[in-house]
Amino acid sequence: MNKTSSIVIIGGGISGAAVAYELAKRGQKDIILIEREYLSGGATGRCGAGVRMQWGTKMNCLLAKYAIEKFETLNEELDYEYDVEFKQGGYLMCASTQKEYDQFVKNVALQNSLGINSRIITPAEAKEIVPYINTDYMIGGTFHQKDGHLNPFHTTLAYARAAERLGVEIMKYTAVTGIDVQNGKIKGVMTDKGYIATETVLNAAGGYSQQIAEMVGVTLPLYSQRHQIMVTEPVIPIQGPMFMGFVHNIYIQQTPHGSFIMGRGDAYEPKDLRVTSGWQFMEDMARNCAKLLPALRDLNIVRQWAGLYNMSPDKQPIYGVVEGVEGMYVAAGYSGHGFMFGPVTGVVMAEMMLGLPTTVDVSALGPDRFASGKLFVEPSVV
Amino acid sequence: MLKNSGVAERDLVEKVYPSEERRKKGAFAAIECFQRIPCDPCVASCKRGAISPPADINDIPTADFDKCNGCGLCISVCPGLAIFVIDENYSVDEALIKLPYEFLPLPIVGDIVFGTDRGGSPVCKAKVVQVVNTKSSNRTPVVSLAVPKELSMDVRGFCFDDGKEKCECDCANTQPHLHTPHSTLHTQYICRCEGITLDKIREYVAHGYTTLNEIKIISRAGMGACQGRTCRQLILNELAKTTGQPIDKMPVSTFRPPVQPIKMGLLLSEEEQK
Ligand SMILES: Cc1cc2nc3c(=O)[nH]c(=O)nc-3n(C[C@H](O)[C@H](O)[C@H](O)COP(=O)(O)OP(=O)(O)OC[C@H]3O[C@@H](n4cnc5c(N)ncnc54)[C@H](O)[C@@H]3O)c2cc1C
Ligand code: SF4
Ligand code: SF4
Repeated sequence: MNKTSSIVIIGGGISGAAVAYELAKRGQKDIILIEREYLSGGATGRCGAGVRMQWGTKMNCLLAKYAIEKFETLNEELDYEYDVEFKQGGYLMCASTQKEYDQFVKNVALQNSLGINSRIITPAEAKEIVPYINTDYMIGGTFHQKDGHLNPFHTTLAYARAAERLGVEIMKYTAVTGIDVQNGKIKGVMTDKGYIATETVLNAAGGYSQQIAEMVGVTLPLYSQRHQIMVTEPVIPIQGPMFMGFVHNIYIQQTPHGSFIMGRGDAYEPKDLRVTSGWQFMEDMARNCAKLLPALRDLNIVRQWAGLYNMSPDKQPIYGVVEGVEGMYVAAGYSGHGFMFGPVTGVVMAEMMLGLPTTVDVSALGPDRFASGKLFVEPSVV
Repeated sequence: MLKNSGVAERDLVEKVYPSEERRKKGAFAAIECFQRIPCDPCVASCKRGAISPPADINDIPTADFDKCNGCGLCISVCPGLAIFVIDENYSVDEALIKLPYEFLPLPIVGDIVFGTDRGGSPVCKAKVVQVVNTKSSNRTPVVSLAVPKELSMDVRGFCFDDGKEKCECDCANTQPHLHTPHSTLHTQYICRCEGITLDKIREYVAHGYTTLNEIKIISRAGMGACQGRTCRQLILNELAKTTGQPIDKMPVSTFRPPVQPIKMGLLLSEEEQK
């Protein structure tokens, strides 16, 4: 089954789906989105789906603010028949060391200057927001009410369905097996369901974006790493915000459905493509949780799973044109915070691919920054 | 395939049956337990020591047919409803099948019902001979059915209606199947943990979500406490029926730990539990 297309998007996660929609909304025709499994089957459907404006650099604050303001009206904008389940219960960030606290103070000043109404809170105030927090491990924190979390499946499907209505063809359960490059130009994409002639390709393959780049002979400075996460049985609503602690290595939220979803990082994870589950995680996670939120120790864990973080050298995404291969674009390397950037990824990549000026200046996030040594350093990442 | 359909094939079943000679001697337990799961209440339930303790809790239990007398104590104990007692000497041309039955209404002794095979399709008429629902049944009543002898290896359930009369349901199934009046579809639960009805599943299928994973992410079916152990096969069957894809070829979702819900506090050391 051979086809022709103006733009082929590889990857049906939040990034690919949002870019497809934003391109189609701007009038682009004949777009094909290819997803090896089902939509959101990659990192997107496995993530914590937390979204926050509380960042430590101006660009990240602006990107996240733009995205979150879009999330607020996403059901309406996309005419979604179900619900993306955006719960704006805030993010409560816990500072456990003086160094961390000092950084938070700086972050809040920056955020406030950009119109983000975050604030420094004392442990006593934290307890008012989440009464069962054990504040023994906390010297202070920050809170911002407009942060929160969504249902990542529905968010992706909402974008995908709107894109389809605008004419985008979505090929699920279809794998890209190669990219046809002739004289430095994209000519087509090979898949297990046939050849697609095209001159423009977006690599939005998440944890597999290095593999896609290799198909055009380019090595991106990215690697993938497993991140694990688990969920409890549902209970009545008791926790409003996402609770997050960098030092204690935990993020935990209560979904609108009532279950608690929690995850942590593991510095010793090998760099590969595994997404299996490990027993050590469940123990470590339970320990962190019991320490900071002791009341939750009586909850039953019903499932754990894992997904890939796609890491870049400065833990920031790569948005841009791939040098040396005409027609090749990349949006990857989110290093664990690509879900919350989804709406803005959609907008800036669509604008870039259509030759329009970008709404948020992302020129500092181009793939060329690594060779030139201009890394972008964000102090507040998990 | 058992993994996709949840229905054990005949050759698998034959492996756990006693010899021809033993079958002639009288009742025996058919332990149709084919999945390695951490479960062993059947072992302790048998007063005759016919089911030996497993070396590993995940091992599949087997009955020692020299010890087993077909008392049936193990039937209600098995949470998987995997144990049946078969007596091929019940009458000249009938075998007796004792099976666990967790639906209402319960039949009454003397009822003529339809015996169904492992997949739920009616295969014969059957007479209800006994209904045991005592305290020790622990809400898993045991129903004894007299069925044609040649079907002793096949009948593992029953229904009150064989669907041959005009069926009100709108499915394309031309084979005799369970009568499902349309008006009851919206209360027919497929995923009991999350309360997802057959009606809802059909709505998602109509929207183009036609694999188990897609149904799961959009409806939550399979994300509840049982993690799909109840609904997985029901959904696959429905998808196979509506998409025409063979059930064996349908992708299933990933099996992940924990095998059963576990309290977070239990993962802490004694010190930490204080
Ligand atoms: C445990 C965990 C928790 C997280 N928590 C958060 C959080 O709280 N907030 C946040 O903002 N971010 C979080 N993230 C990060 C976030 O999930 C990702 O950054 C984001 O989902 C990336 O989206 P994507 O669309 O770029 O990639 P993906 O969702 O990974 O999509 C890429 C898709 O490409 C497909 N693909 C790959 N190769 C091919 C091929 N050859 N042919 C066809 N298709 C292919 C894959 O199947 C996949 O579906 C978390 C990640 C993990 C793993
Ligand atoms: S039928 Fe009775 S004897 Fe046979 S295995 Fe079960 S409990 Fe034991
Ligand atoms: S009790 Fe039932 S499910 Fe459990 S091991 Fe015994 S036969 Fe199998």
